[in-house]
Amino acid sequence: MKIAYQHILKNLKEKPSIDEISEKLFQLGHEHEIFGNVFHMEFTPNRGDCLSVLGLCRDLSVFYKTELNYDIYKGQLSPLKIDFINNAEKSCPHISFLKIEIGENIKSYNKDLESYFSEMDIKKNNFFTDISNYVSYEIGHPTHCYDASKINSSIYIEKRKDTGIFKTLLDTELKLTGPNLVFYTEDEIINLAGIVGSKSTACSETTNSVLVECAYFNPEEIIGKSVKYDIQSEAAYKFERGVDPLSQEQVLRRFLKIVSEHTDILSVSYFSKNYSAYKYPSVDNNLREINKILGINLSVNEFEHYLESLNFKIDDKNITPPSYRSDIYSCNDIAEEIARIIGYDNIPRKEFQLPKKALSKKYNSEENIKNLLIDNGFYEVINNPFVPKSKSELMIKVDNPLDSNREYLRLDLKDSLVNNLLYNERRQQDSIKLFEISDIYLQIEGIQKKRILGIIASGRVGKNYEDFSKKININYLEKIFESVNLNIKSDIINISRDNLDTKLKTPIIYTELEFDEDSLNLRKYNQLNKPSTLFKRYVPISEYPSSSRDLSFAIKDFNQLKELERQLFNFEHELLKDLYIFDYYKNEDVQEIKIGFRFVIQSSKRTITDDDVANVMNDIIKLALKLNGITIPGLKI
Amino acid sequence: MPSSKDINLPELVFEYGTNHPINIMKDSIMNLLLSFGFELAEGPEIETEKFNFDMLNIKKTHPARQMHDTFYLNSKSHLLRTHTSPVQIRGMLEKKPPMAFISGGKVYRKDDDSTHLPMFHQVEGIYVNEDVSFTELKDLIYKIIHSLFGEEIELRFRPSYFPFTEPSAEVDILSEDGKWLEILGCGIVNPQVIINCNIDPKRYRGLAFGLGIERIAMLKYGVNDIREFYKSNLDFLSQFK
Repeated sequence: MKIAYQHILKNLKEKPSIDEISEKLFQLGHEHEIFGNVFHMEFTPNRGDCLSVLGLCRDLSVFYKTELNYDIYKGQLSPLKIDFINNAEKSCPHISFLKIEIGENIKSYNKDLESYFSEMDIKKNNFFTDISNYVSYEIGHPTHCYDASKINSSIYIEKRKDTGIFKTLLDTELKLTGPNLVFYTEDEIINLAGIVGSKSTACSETTNSVLVECAYFNPEEIIGKSVKYDIQSEAAYKFERGVDPLSQEQVLRRFLKIVSEHTDILSVSYFSKNYSAYKYPSVDNNLREINKILGINLSVNEFEHYLESLNFKIDDKNITPPSYRSDIYSCNDIAEEIARIIGYDNIPRKEFQLPKKALSKKYNSEENIKNLLIDNGFYEVINNPFVPKSKSELMIKVDNPLDSNREYLRLDLKDSLVNNLLYNERRQQDSIKLFEISDIYLQIEGIQKKRILGIIASGRVGKNYEDFSKKININYLEKIFESVNLNIKSDIINISRDNLDTKLKTPIIYTELEFDEDSLNLRKYNQLNKPSTLFKRYVPISEYPSSSRDLSFAIKDFNQLKELERQLFNFEHELLKDLYIFDYYKNEDVQEIKIGFRFVIQSSKRTITDDDVANVMNDIIKLALKLNGITIPGLKI
Repeated sequence: MPSSKDINLPELVFEYGTNHPINIMKDSIMNLLLSFGFELAEGPEIETEKFNFDMLNIKKTHPARQMHDTFYLNSKSHLLRTHTSPVQIRGMLEKKPPMAFISGGKVYRKDDDSTHLPMFHQVEGIYVNEDVSFTELKDLIYKIIHSLFGEEIELRFRPSYFPFTEPSAEVDILSEDGKWLEILGCGIVNPQVIINCNIDPKRYRGLAFGLGIERIAMLKYGVNDIREFYKSNLDFLSQFK
């Protein structure tokens, strides 16, 4: 909700800067951003009372002297003869109507109204609707204006079911399904209560007789309706969060006052009915408990002063919040009020200490198997569980999926991991080793849970010169598990590429294992690679293709091998993404070492050209050939 | 193939893999909390409305309970938990105070855009004892945030609203570019929740806190787009060794 700085200032005797007010609003828990001179507020859902200039200033009155008295119409209001039948007294326990007939001439809007439209950057509508919107902004209680000349019968309010098409004043058509609280006449529905009125009874520029309705709706009747019918309704937003059940007369008198400032009032009449008496909630006056909750030592005087500044009434036994504070029920609520006024950041800290217990670390088979896989070059992935169409009756269906491709919960990890593998193949990865550990849920006599490990791999075993030419196969994975005396051979399968979106032919191996004390249980494993405990800063990934080049060096002076390695691994170029030794051969007969390096070249900003690659490679070649006894067979200079 | 006695052999570099960065972060936070003396509690990802909402004082009309916010299953008989708080409820029902435990794992909300995912991770903790107060909660939160972001980090507490805590707070840290970033939610456990778990609210109070792992991981690693974590891109994953 937007609230202009100047409209707040109007109610404060002091004139704090916009930044000072901003700081106080944060202290009170009212999150916001400032654009120009307007606060864009994000109130928590329990603070419906703050959704207006008046509401916000009431909260700020704990810091600033305020004058919150709006000019209202103070004259007598004659009784309105209206045939109103309330068939939903629990949903609408308080309601008032004001009927006004005006003269033909309407003056230009006064300073307050003009300032509202300009500061809020909203379009004017018609006289009565504009005043309704302004009063809602100012006081927080929405009203609804009917063109009185268009209502010629009794008005009812009732919860009615499946009432069909409803034409709104926004020129939209809603199909009203399920139970909805509606106002209706003998002829038609005239208002989806608290959300939006009908086109047929809406006010226009020519309306000179208006029936203004001001009601308190039980928030539970309104919640979810604007989302259900996809309507942006500020009224619904306020009613959902709760408006002041006792403010109707003040709101309508304010409405009338503004009307009177702009035109002649020919007649005015008023109807109000409370179908149940409002009962003020009461909380025990228990300062000791509140001090204990907060961990502070507030005096009685401070305590009472803080609460009185929020218009709470206090006696020896009870604390009574004002009618607009529907969120106060308990000592904890009062404690929060006190904490807000003191400022959460001004409440001291007290040492938090739990009794120390001896840590008896139980072996963790899952962690041991993860470490085994990580030591062998596998990367952990996490996938969400939503999958399309049911493959099995054991699958659990999502009642309200995001879309038809995410309608069920997966029963296995295979499809997710295959997708992960293909994604990486498309990104030119030629050695892919992934695993995922997840709970899966099955529909068997209720819902059963299983803890599952899925492993998928394809391509080269590794990028070093021993593994570069070896291809991942079933035997490879089997041996990894054999090294820790686990036999999973029968569980490993080859996945056919026939139905996959890929042209590659390299085998894909896959296994899925359930964590189970009998079959998959690794009690002990000494991790080879201890992961870093430092959190490294992520370097954004290039979305441009990479290119790789291989260079084979012949070395006669064996002592130069280490120097070549050192020089090349220390070589830096912004386009050199990776390098590794993929081949090594020592020919004892001719006393020569041949060593192959692969260089991967990629730009983070653009697609690299042949010239880019050539420039990087030329620098590398120059560097290497400076070393004595090193040649590059086949190199044409 | 090289001979085993070849002293000239170049270094044989084996490429290790790694845990997923979100699990690295989750485990790091959970280990920190375990070191404080919290115990570990676990619970299912598929829950009922009773444990996910009712017991936590989240009323039937709360927006979180609408079909557009929560994934319901099997004709609404179950749901995918929207937070790890049901584990706290189960823990409080099983144990007797004093108790202090943490839970962590996947949670689900019906959201899918550039800043929200339908699945994400949380870590939550609860401590129930006599005379638990907001001042202790503040100290605990300072300890957690200082451990994660260093002693120099500036933080602020803001009043907030959660149905299961009262008073409730959100905690922000001041980023390097001068912006306040929301980092966790916490509060004094609402006495109604304590009553729901058959604990005497006149004798015991609780403090609770919850952190979104992705949010913290994004800050710690400098990842700007939450979706990067779940593309399973090896160029991405290999950076977190």
